[in-house]
Amino acid sequence: MIKINGLHKTYGNNEVLTDINLAFSKGHVYGIVGENGAGKTTLFRCIAGLESYTGSIISDLNPLKNHLGLLLTDPFFFSKMTGKEYIRLLCNARGKTNIHIEEKNIFNLPLDQYASTYSTGMKKKLAITAILLQENAYFIFDEPFNGVDIQSNIILTEIILKLKELNKIVLISSHIFSTLSDTCDEIHLLRKGAQIKSVQKSAFKDLEQEMKAFTIGNSIEKLDLK
Amino acid sequence: MLPDFRNGSVAIHKMKHYFHLQFLITNRKIKETGINPILAYLLGLVAFLLITAYLFQKTEFAKYIVVLTCLGLLSKLSESNRTDFLITTFGDRVKNKIRILENGMVSIPFVTVMIYQNALLEAALLWVIAIVFAVFSYKTNVNFTLPTPFSKRPFEFLVGFRKTFYLFPMAYLLTVIAVQVGNFNLGIFSMLLIFGTVLSYYPKPEQAYYVWVHAHTPKKFLLYKIVTATQYTSILVAPVLVGLLVFYPNEFHIVLLFFLIGLLFVWTIILAKYSAYPNEISLPEGMLLAFSVYFPPMLLVMIPFFYKKSIYKLKMLLDDQD
Repeated sequence: MIKINGLHKTYGNNEVLTDINLAFSKGHVYGIVGENGAGKTTLFRCIAGLESYTGSIISDLNPLKNHLGLLLTDPFFFSKMTGKEYIRLLCNARGKTNIHIEEKNIFNLPLDQYASTYSTGMKKKLAITAILLQENAYFIFDEPFNGVDIQSNIILTEIILKLKELNKIVLISSHIFSTLSDTCDEIHLLRKGAQIKSVQKSAFKDLEQEMKAFTIGNSIEKLDLK
Repeated sequence: MLPDFRNGSVAIHKMKHYFHLQFLITNRKIKETGINPILAYLLGLVAFLLITAYLFQKTEFAKYIVVLTCLGLLSKLSESNRTDFLITTFGDRVKNKIRILENGMVSIPFVTVMIYQNALLEAALLWVIAIVFAVFSYKTNVNFTLPTPFSKRPFEFLVGFRKTFYLFPMAYLLTVIAVQVGNFNLGIFSMLLIFGTVLSYYPKPEQAYYVWVHAHTPKKFLLYKIVTATQYTSILVAPVLVGLLVFYPNEFHIVLLFFLIGLLFVWTIILAKYSAYPNEISLPEGMLLAFSVYFPPMLLVMIPFFYKKSIYKLKMLLDDQD
């Protein structure tokens, strides 16, 4: 369980998250959606403890961060480190030292090559592999499907469903609604740092329509495309 | 080719703009440390002159230290990402001009000092290498992975060794020469060269994620870093250490003293790095470190000082409870 109560986050005078109250249960997958700048990544960083905030975040496993696999939107890789060494670094950091990395290379990555030479999608797959091998109880995937090929997206969707089956808590943000509707049990909508609404699986279609209407509005007409 | 590559005045305008921007960025970085940029430039120049004068007074290998230091700085400027950026932004010809000017500016103080110290051949050689470095920048992103003995515990030695691997055969060769010509000081210098290289692996702070990801307390995190650094530094220094102990058994206490002081410096740089984290080591702290090179007993004060500060800084990213 993870419970967020009255979370506020400000940068100077700018409040980027306002009174966020959320609860996440074991064996569930949650989607966090919103436009760019809505506060999704900041919320994830607060949960991870990478940002200071006011309010509280409590979890059944403590400290939360030591049980959290965090996939950043744009993971950073050292210039002379191979894929295998990256995985080892992340596993060592969580005390997991006896991992057979080659056997777990489900995305068929060239693990002996420098990770910095990987394509965007390969980098993301490497980062996902590493946090999966950390054997976490909680997962945050910030834009996991971005830049990843269709085949790997299918694998990733299955992985998320498997994590759910394994009673993990999974939080995902994605700009591709279908990836969320395939995996999530509940979706929380953020707008300008505020929690607008929470939607159960049965109402995902309505949410998608509502988001479409809000986002597009009459902006396409304004373009006056010819 | 785009037309502006053929137009000299446009190229000069671009270069002026580029160097002006670099100057602004450098000044911003200095200001972040809380020091006035003009004062920093003056202090830097005075420190450079004092250090080089001291080196030339103390050791006959000063010119090599100066050359290696300069080459180290030049290699930073030749990084492939940087070169790629310059090519894509300015095109090949302007990039070459920028790089020649950059390398020229970095080399001038070193070359001037060597000319003043009458090391004319080395000065000329350094100047030529600086220009060649600028024009024929090398691509490092080849699909060849350099094996290292450090892959079990990434990342500082893994990354650092792959960037500086060419210095180790040089250091070991110097040890062999030191033994052959019976020059003990040269042997000690080769050991210091390795320690100096290892120290260069640490000052730059890594991204917060790479600290955050550790399920350690700040204390355990620092211990892990220090133990890893001690083991891996020992591996790199071992050939020199063993060589000197075997061939200069009467000087064993000096050899071990330098080894221990070297390790103390490695610990200090690790602690200094995290004491400033997530920022880079500040200028005053850097000056304290530089001072301790002249007066190593200072380390006994600095190690606990940096340790305490590191624990405080790391608490922001690591949980403090066992």
